[in-house]
This record gives sequence, structure tokens and C-alpha cells, in this order.
Amino acid sequence: MPLLPHKTMRWLLLGIPLLDACTNNQVSPPGQTTDNRPIYRPIYGSYESVRNVRTMAVQPIRQAGKIYLKDGFLFVNEVGAGVHIVDNRNPERPVPVSFVSIPGARELAVKDSILYADNTVDLVALNIANPLNVRLVKRIENAYPVTAYPPMRNVRFECPDPAKGLVVGWQRSENESAKCWR
Amino acid sequence: MSGAGCSGDFGLSKSENSATPGAGIGGSTARFTLLDNTLYVVNSTTLRAYDVSNSMNPIPGRQTKLGFGIETIFPYSGNLFIGTQTGMLIYDASRPGDPRYLSTYTHVLSCDPVVVQGTLAYVTLRSGADCRNNAVAANLLEVIDVSNLQAPRIIRSIPMINPRGLGVDGDVLFVCEGDSGLKMFDLTNPTAPRLMQHLEGVRSYDVIPNRDVLIVTGKDGIYQYSYADRKQLKLLSKLAIEPLA
Repeated sequence: MPLLPHKTMRWLLLGIPLLDACTNNQVSPPGQTTDNRPIYRPIYGSYESVRNVRTMAVQPIRQAGKIYLKDGFLFVNEVGAGVHIVDNRNPERPVPVSFVSIPGARELAVKDSILYADNTVDLVALNIANPLNVRLVKRIENAYPVTAYPPMRNVRFECPDPAKGLVVGWQRSENESAKCWR
Repeated sequence: MSGAGCSGDFGLSKSENSATPGAGIGGSTARFTLLDNTLYVVNSTTLRAYDVSNSMNPIPGRQTKLGFGIETIFPYSGNLFIGTQTGMLIYDASRPGDPRYLSTYTHVLSCDPVVVQGTLAYVTLRSGADCRNNAVAANLLEVIDVSNLQAPRIIRSIPMINPRGLGVDGDVLFVCEGDSGLKMFDLTNPTAPRLMQHLEGVRSYDVIPNRDVLIVTGKDGIYQYSYADRKQLKLLSKLAIEPLA
């Protein structure tokens, strides 16, 4: 069987990781000497700690994500952490009512008195009729693939190790040996 | 309704007409949306439908492969408009839970939410570090004719600074410019947005316009403005954000 010409072979070997660069990579891009991209590391949680949705007292809004408006109530995603419920019947004086801790949450929608949110790998349906006592009514387990990379782009990150648990978020890191990037 | 910065809402009247009874309104960057008793969820590659006829009991339904770089989903008039990093996908969702592909409007690699009103789609294109696109300077607001859903057609492209979420409500369009502020456009001529106000100090990511009240999220807080006066926004309140220590 004829061997591929040397040049072609080299191109093929280099080409594979390059094509893959759109999603998530295990190796650094070729030819990169100084890499100033921010570095992140995964935050791990156990399934038990992640699958724990609870109502808490009002919390400060630190990183506002998606918002949703329903019947004079405003729902503000705290990125990766949960949902602030705000009584917004008077937009001149919005009043935070409670915080629903939903580990990993980044998305939300409300129908009737049910709030849908992503709870890391699960989809949860929560009864918010009483915002001071939000209750889980349904959990669809593993509705999402396990997160293998951070939501930010043009970053380097420590490759997640499934043995350490579920990735529930990402934080900045100084670990220059981070091997993954996107 | 309200704005069509909005999931689950038709920008047709000022009543709380909703695409699905009992649903609320989301922003343009949403990945969850409600339409015809169906919760549609996009992740980076797929569209998943959940039957929420009984809101307390969502039932997983069909999963549709969409490609890569899926960012946002916006329902309008029985259709789903999906913002991706390479363009806008249009799906017919007249059969709940069973979306049918109609067309793709392709543009340069960027981040891009979409909102729709009447026969027009408004799309923002943003380049930048977190959009995987440093090389191409593509910061634009595009007006796309979607009267033929099978063949969307660009009719105008307006330069922007760093546009993100957007919202439309009748004769007014809002565009978030990230750290560069918030813009209000007059849509008396819906194909030719005319800049009325640029609040440079309001760092903004996404908006929900609803009944003359604009809700704005940004780095510094959640602002609410009255847009009853289409020439000038009036600040109603601000919920402060406490930055991470």
C-alpha cells in the first residue's frame, strides 16, 4: 500500500485539531508562543449538591443574566446560581422578594405559576405561586449534556475531569498549564 | 403586548396577547421560549421541545439538530427564529413540538440575537473576543425582510459599536451596545430605524420592552425606563448590582 507523501501526512495530522477548534480542544493552537487568553478552571459539585433547589432570602444581584417578565414579577437570572424574584408591579419601585438557588442556572421561562430553568444537566419545573416557598414540581434528569467547556470563547481552561464530579461553573484561574481551549 | 424583545409574545397589540396563554416575556438573548404550549430550549447544537400543556408536567419531546453555534430563540407568529453564529434559522412551529426547517439567512461569524415584528427581522451582529471573531469587524444592526419565510432578504445594514440584545415594540426599537450604552430607534419607517437617543452611560446587555416600560440589564444594574415619550427615555428605577468581591 503506497504511503501518503510526507507533506500530505503532516497536513492531515495538523488539520484534525484545527477543524475541531470550533468547539473544544485538548491542545494549544499551533504556533502560539505567548498566550494571553484568560484561563478558567471548572467548579465541581456532587449530583446531590447540584440537585438541591431551595428558596432563600433576598440576595444581592452580582452577575445579572437573562431576564423574564410575568404578571408584574421580574425574574433575574444570577448567572450559574439561580433566580432573583422581584415584585415589579410598580416599575418605579421594584422590590426583590426572594432568591431561588438553582445551581448552574442560566436560562428561564415562566408559564402560569411554573418557572422552568436549567439546573446544570437537568431541566426543572418549579412552582413559584408563593415566591417565599418555591417548590420543585418536576425534574427531568440529564436533559442537557454534561458541560465540557466554559461558555466564554477565546479562553483556555483546565480540562474537566468527570471523576471529580459535575461541572457547575467556571472561575478564573492562574494555572498556566491549562491544556484545553476554545 | 409588549415588546417583541420577548419570548412568547406577539408585537401586535398593547394587550397581554401571548403566543402561549399564561406565558410571560423574555429577552432577545433567551435560549428558552414558550410557544403554543411548548417550551423550546436551544443549546449550542440542538433544539429540544417540551410539551407544557400541563405546565406542572413538562414532557420531553422531539429533538432537532440545528448545526453549531446556536445562541438565541425567538418565537413569532407560529415560527421560531433562531440566532446562530453564522446566521438566522427559521423554523415553522405550527405543529407544536414538531418544528420544520424553512430557511437560513447567512452572515459573517458573529454573535447575534434576533427579534421579529410584522414582516421584518432585526438582527444584531457583534464581533469581539467572546464571539470568537476578532478578525472581522462586524458590528451591525441588520433589517431583514422575512415576508417570504423561505427566502429572507437583507434590506438594510446599520453600523453599531458592540451590539447585543435588542427589543422591538411597535414604532420603537432598542439596541444594547454593551459597554457603549443603550440606543433607542424610531421605527416610524420600520425598514429604516432612526436613532433618537443614545444613553452612553448605561452599559446594557439585553432589554424587555413592555407597555411603555423598558427593562434593561447590564453590568451595573437593572434599569427601567419609560418610553411613553418616544424621543426621550425617562429613568424609573435602578436595581443596583453588587460586583463580585
